[in-house]
Amino acid sequence: MARRVRRSSLTMPINTPRFVERSWTRNCDYLNFDFEDSVPQSQKPYARTLVAKAIKHGQMGGADINLRINCSYPEADVPAAVLPGLMQINFPKAETAAQMRHLDRLITEAERVQGIRPGTVRIGANIETTLGVANSYEIASASPRIDAFAGGTGYDMSMDMGVEMFVGFDQFVYNRGEGALVAMALGLEYTGSVYMPDTTGNVGNAELTRQRAEANRQVGLRAGSGLHPNTVEPQNIGLTPTPEEVEDAKRVLAFFEQIDEQGEVEGNLDGRLVDKYEAARAAELIEWSEACAKKDALKAKCQARARELEAQGS
Amino acid sequence: MEPFVRRSHLIVPALDETQVEASWTHDADAVVLDLTDAVPDMDKPRARDVLKMAIPIAARGGAEVFVHINRALAYADIAAAVQPGLKGIVVTGTENAADVEAIDTTLVAFEKKRGLMHGSLYIIIMLDSGKGLWQIREIVNASPRICSIGLDEGNLCRHMGIVPNAAFDPFVYAKGRLIIESRAAKRQPIGISHPYGLFPQFDDAEAIHTLVLKGKNTGFAGVMCSHPAWVEPCHRAFTPTEERLEFYRETRRLFAKGIAMGTAAIPYPGTTMMIDVPVDERARITLELYDRYAARDAEKAATVKRARASGF
Repeated sequence: MARRVRRSSLTMPINTPRFVERSWTRNCDYLNFDFEDSVPQSQKPYARTLVAKAIKHGQMGGADINLRINCSYPEADVPAAVLPGLMQINFPKAETAAQMRHLDRLITEAERVQGIRPGTVRIGANIETTLGVANSYEIASASPRIDAFAGGTGYDMSMDMGVEMFVGFDQFVYNRGEGALVAMALGLEYTGSVYMPDTTGNVGNAELTRQRAEANRQVGLRAGSGLHPNTVEPQNIGLTPTPEEVEDAKRVLAFFEQIDEQGEVEGNLDGRLVDKYEAARAAELIEWSEACAKKDALKAKCQARARELEAQGS
Repeated sequence: MEPFVRRSHLIVPALDETQVEASWTHDADAVVLDLTDAVPDMDKPRARDVLKMAIPIAARGGAEVFVHINRALAYADIAAAVQPGLKGIVVTGTENAADVEAIDTTLVAFEKKRGLMHGSLYIIIMLDSGKGLWQIREIVNASPRICSIGLDEGNLCRHMGIVPNAAFDPFVYAKGRLIIESRAAKRQPIGISHPYGLFPQFDDAEAIHTLVLKGKNTGFAGVMCSHPAWVEPCHRAFTPTEERLEFYRETRRLFAKGIAMGTAAIPYPGTTMMIDVPVDERARITLELYDRYAARDAEKAATVKRARASGF
């Protein structure tokens, strides 16, 4: 499977037309339409009727489309959510492997009904409770539709742990570690983030988002998320390798190929050690940069066409 | 298990008459009469005899009374401890479910013998080994009596060959695992932030408050207090400030208004915060917790008042 590029996203209530209709203009790699916490109980049935339209709006910007369902009634949400064009179902407050297997079966049935190629729709398991952290391994290994995993942070998690959100140190350090270990042990992409002190809870802080994205890129983390349009570009930019980094990686790779041909396992390039690990890191960076470029080109093409259509008044 | 309020567990050596006599005057939510390390082996029988007098004294201010038993001497210690007025026992050093089941069985026998309600006595588990910490899931689920779990950091150091150093916390992983597994099993994790778990100090209330608060914000719900000076800053750290309470009340008002208007994502004025279901839920839980703390404090104050009125 081609590497998924998910540097930036916006999560938004699917029943708020002004967010959904403009979602394609935000330049997100993926969009996360919500059935869950941002939709009031009384509007849930209505929200289920809005998926086809939301997918259409989101795809105009070249974004992948995710949808967050409610953990309490997947039977009602999944058949409404799984339509052609949907990339992933996010399952909030995941706590057991049984939930994931049940969800997998519901998606399989919905794919069959909708004529979607089996196995297309991915599952995102959101860990938001202490029980979810405790059961991380069994959750992440419960379905082949799960290709990425991270540890539990955020509001629900803080509530279950009895901690405040913005305290200036990482209350979720164990959860992050558990998530990262499980992801690596199962060969999934780890979509977590490094910790950066934030005592404000400002969801639209572009500068902090940029710093965090760059720190993530430097430690090899590739995924972003977001609630505020201000955070989209800082993540698109911050998680993309700079031209200098790409140039450098190419030099490292060329140098390693050269010493490899000479039968050496390591060599000295301008005072730094290059071995197969450094070469692998450089190769990954180049591969990632190419995937980003491809995604950027796709988004630009889609958005240009959408603007044209908009200008024609349709 | 009924929700309980146990922010502070004040440890009192059972043989220290002065400390036992004063134990009810410190406003602790729970008092733990200690039969373990503070009592030399030859004095254990005398310490057991003292419990008959000590338990009612410790309870005089409304505190729940626990006895910290020796795991190796569990039968004799439990036999001496179980009497009306005892809330439960503390035990250090369990390493698997069978260790807990053995304690549970003894408690069943003595509840029956002393005419206490079956299942009324609680167990607080203190873990002190790598094995115990690794098996924490089977341990916390081994008995419905288990209400709280903590680390005996000093003995954990000894068992793991760690030389404690105030400059860094050797138990980031251990505490994280304890907190996640305890809360996942709906039990209360107890502890304080480094370095007071290994190097306790008693003279600076603000420093105590800071480390209890930090512990609370890593997920601890209560503290084993090794000195009466810890009780007040401990309660203060667990109680939300008036400013936070007002913020949570306003959160609930705004969210209710938003729901009435058909949206569940409402901006908090003057901030970029969004109020949605979990933010509102958090406000509700915190306000309820505050009410329970206030009720518990009033209950203790009334009990102290009655004790004073009857001449203590």
